[in-house]
Amino acid sequence: MAILLKQIFSFFKLLNSDTGTNSLAAGLACGVVFGFAPILSLQALILLCLIFFFRIQMGAAFLSAFFFKLVAYIMDPVSDQIGRSVLESPGLRPLFQSLYNMPIVPLTRFNNSIVMGSAVISFVITIPLFFIFKKLILQYREKVVARFKETKLWKAWAGTKIHDLYTTYTKLY
Amino acid sequence: MKNDKSADEKSQKPKKKQGPIRTEAVVPFLIVAVLVWGYFHFLFDKNIKSLLEYGGYQIIGAEVDIATLDTSFWNASFRMQGIEITNSEKPSSNIIRIGDIRYGLLWDGLLRARFVVDEMAIEQIEFNTQRSHPGRIKPPEPPKPKSTEPSALEKEGNKLKNEALEKTKEQYSDNILGDVASMLSGTSGGDQIKNIENSLPSKAKLQQFEVELKAKQDKWQTKLKTLPQGPEIQALGDRLNKVKIKDFKSPQELQDSLKQIEVIFKDADSKVKAVQATSDEFNADFKSIDQNFKEIDAQVKKDIKDLEARFKIPQIDAKSITRSLFYRYMGPYLNMFNKYKLMAEKYMPPKVLSQVKGQNTNKEDSEIEIKPHPRAKGVTYEFGRANSYPLFWIKNISISSQAGATKEAGNIKGQITNITSNQKLIGKPTVGIIEGNFPGMNVSGLAAKISLDTTNEESRLDYEFKVASYPIDGKELVNSPEAHVAFKKAEGSINSSGSLIALNTFQFKLENQIQKIEYDTSAKNEVVDVILKDVFKNIPIVTLEADGKGELPDLPMNLDSNLGRELQKGFEKQLKKRIDEEKEKLQAAIDQAIGKQKEQIEAQISKAKNQYEIELKKINDQIQTQKNQANTKVDGAKKDAENQAKKKVEGEGKKVIDDLKNKFGL
Repeated sequence: MAILLKQIFSFFKLLNSDTGTNSLAAGLACGVVFGFAPILSLQALILLCLIFFFRIQMGAAFLSAFFFKLVAYIMDPVSDQIGRSVLESPGLRPLFQSLYNMPIVPLTRFNNSIVMGSAVISFVITIPLFFIFKKLILQYREKVVARFKETKLWKAWAGTKIHDLYTTYTKLY
Repeated sequence: MKNDKSADEKSQKPKKKQGPIRTEAVVPFLIVAVLVWGYFHFLFDKNIKSLLEYGGYQIIGAEVDIATLDTSFWNASFRMQGIEITNSEKPSSNIIRIGDIRYGLLWDGLLRARFVVDEMAIEQIEFNTQRSHPGRIKPPEPPKPKSTEPSALEKEGNKLKNEALEKTKEQYSDNILGDVASMLSGTSGGDQIKNIENSLPSKAKLQQFEVELKAKQDKWQTKLKTLPQGPEIQALGDRLNKVKIKDFKSPQELQDSLKQIEVIFKDADSKVKAVQATSDEFNADFKSIDQNFKEIDAQVKKDIKDLEARFKIPQIDAKSITRSLFYRYMGPYLNMFNKYKLMAEKYMPPKVLSQVKGQNTNKEDSEIEIKPHPRAKGVTYEFGRANSYPLFWIKNISISSQAGATKEAGNIKGQITNITSNQKLIGKPTVGIIEGNFPGMNVSGLAAKISLDTTNEESRLDYEFKVASYPIDGKELVNSPEAHVAFKKAEGSINSSGSLIALNTFQFKLENQIQKIEYDTSAKNEVVDVILKDVFKNIPIVTLEADGKGELPDLPMNLDSNLGRELQKGFEKQLKKRIDEEKEKLQAAIDQAIGKQKEQIEAQISKAKNQYEIELKKINDQIQTQKNQANTKVDGAKKDAENQAKKKVEGEGKKVIDDLKNKFGL
């Protein structure tokens, strides 16, 4: 939990800094896939390991996963329809039969209409979303953070001793 | 100074560039892994054991104990020992005790998200064992607050339950020998018949019917008055007579006459329609009156039956005696059956339950390759193929138990094969066979076979159950203040078979034979006592045969026993005449109470029916006559006009010819 909180704080810190744009966008994009995948499935476990062991911004990934979990829940009927049409497609049936009878693959629960539909949606939107997130982060920094730093309130805060102490602390740790 | 410098250097030291792998995550990961391992190693089994005990208590309604439970992740195995299920009717003993249940799941299946058990063992089964401490019994659920309306399902359930109870009570009314004794001693309620008149439901119904009939008669009188009467119909004729129907001077005159006749015809037609509508209404009313009257007849018959039961007039036929005698004998088994049936219905999937209850459901696609399982969210498909694993499959369960450990333990050997979520995929039905005996309880030749086949479009469940010998100790058949009949000691054998097709059509057969019987019979009434002793002395073997065939949940059941037939013979001579007399008395009393009134009403209905029919016919005939007259006049007018036109043309033609002749001087 401490790691998670630290990562969420780090997300906001990175968001307001000038670095880590790719890491943030990748984290947010991973969160999309994670949000659309069922929690008890092989792909969710693999994704969790990837987020945990690779330098993907965890805070961004979990915040994005939380948000897209809600989106996925709302989109369940659409996912169900897409999943049904994919799974019932006669041309794909031999492939699904092979996958279903292979080891490990059925643990992804691909044979469920909602899981399949959600996976199709998340794979289609993840890469465009990565670039959209990247652009949005840059615009946020340019339009919101830069303007905020020009306000009197921020300047007053930046001149305080507490701010100095905080800056020193963050530099050290 | 030196210190400041080193601090400065430290702060200016460039940060080491981090690689793509988060190495600092290894330690937290290891901590989490150790915690997970610790939970599964130390707590998981205990939690599952508590969960099963709690779930069992909630479902069965009696304490369930499990001595030990072991699971292994690497072996994918499960073992449960010392399972005890408390008998809810006798908490000091267990209904069943199973020494050991163990199985291992195949990793081959688990990796494919399938649960496949190669071999499962159930060992050391014992019935009715003594518990070390009395088991907890779940108290009945508190009644719901009055404001909470029961759901439609609950209402339907309660209705069915009450109907079933009523039916059972009606069919198996206890104490037939008590009624016989009362009748023989002359204390039956037949003499109270005189006082029944005011409490007869049929009488009340008849009175209500009379009131309704009166109201209907008034309504009809009013209706008849609104219909066209003689002068009104005559006026139509008068109007018709005034219309000119011959000697038309021009076609316009003919057209006017025809228009007038048409108006009169339309008037007559609307009157006919009004009469017809009234006639239809009367017919409908008479139909409903006839129906209500038939209901009164049915009520009279029901009243007679109720009174026979109220005045304890026994049915001396073998079937009734058998039902009455074996109600007490079969009661505990029926109760147990109903209890487990309700329990099964509570936890059965709604789709299966609706099939059992005979409600229509859409049949699933019977293809092997693709089988959807509806879920709360989405649909899960099974892309099976021949020889692949279904979602769930226990290939073999071995059941064994050895006699000797306790008195209640028996020599049991059995096997259940192919319990699966998709029989079509494996192409094999589920079959269970159990054989054994319980020497400590003198039960021998126990054999049961059950098979469930869902490989075809209609599922089929067949069972056979047999016990060659079991002891009967102090089993009561009749226990009333007037008479007592029991099997003091006996030996029974049972043989039953049946089938359930499409979870809906059920048929069964049961043969129960009781021999080596020591009867315990007694009756207050001497005659009954003698007859009972005499009859039972000559019955060394009692047979009970039951069979039924029908659609669930309503299953008609036939019950037959030689005991019923023998008792019928024994009592018939003594009682037949007396019962017939009592029945005649009852019939006479009913006739006296409502017969006269019923006849009067019947005559009243018949009279009213004739009267109204005649009146309606008369009005209808009058109007029809006027309509026919109008038709005749139209025809006449048309003919006259035609004749006139013809004559005119002929005259004019003749005139032209004459003119021509004159012109040419012919």
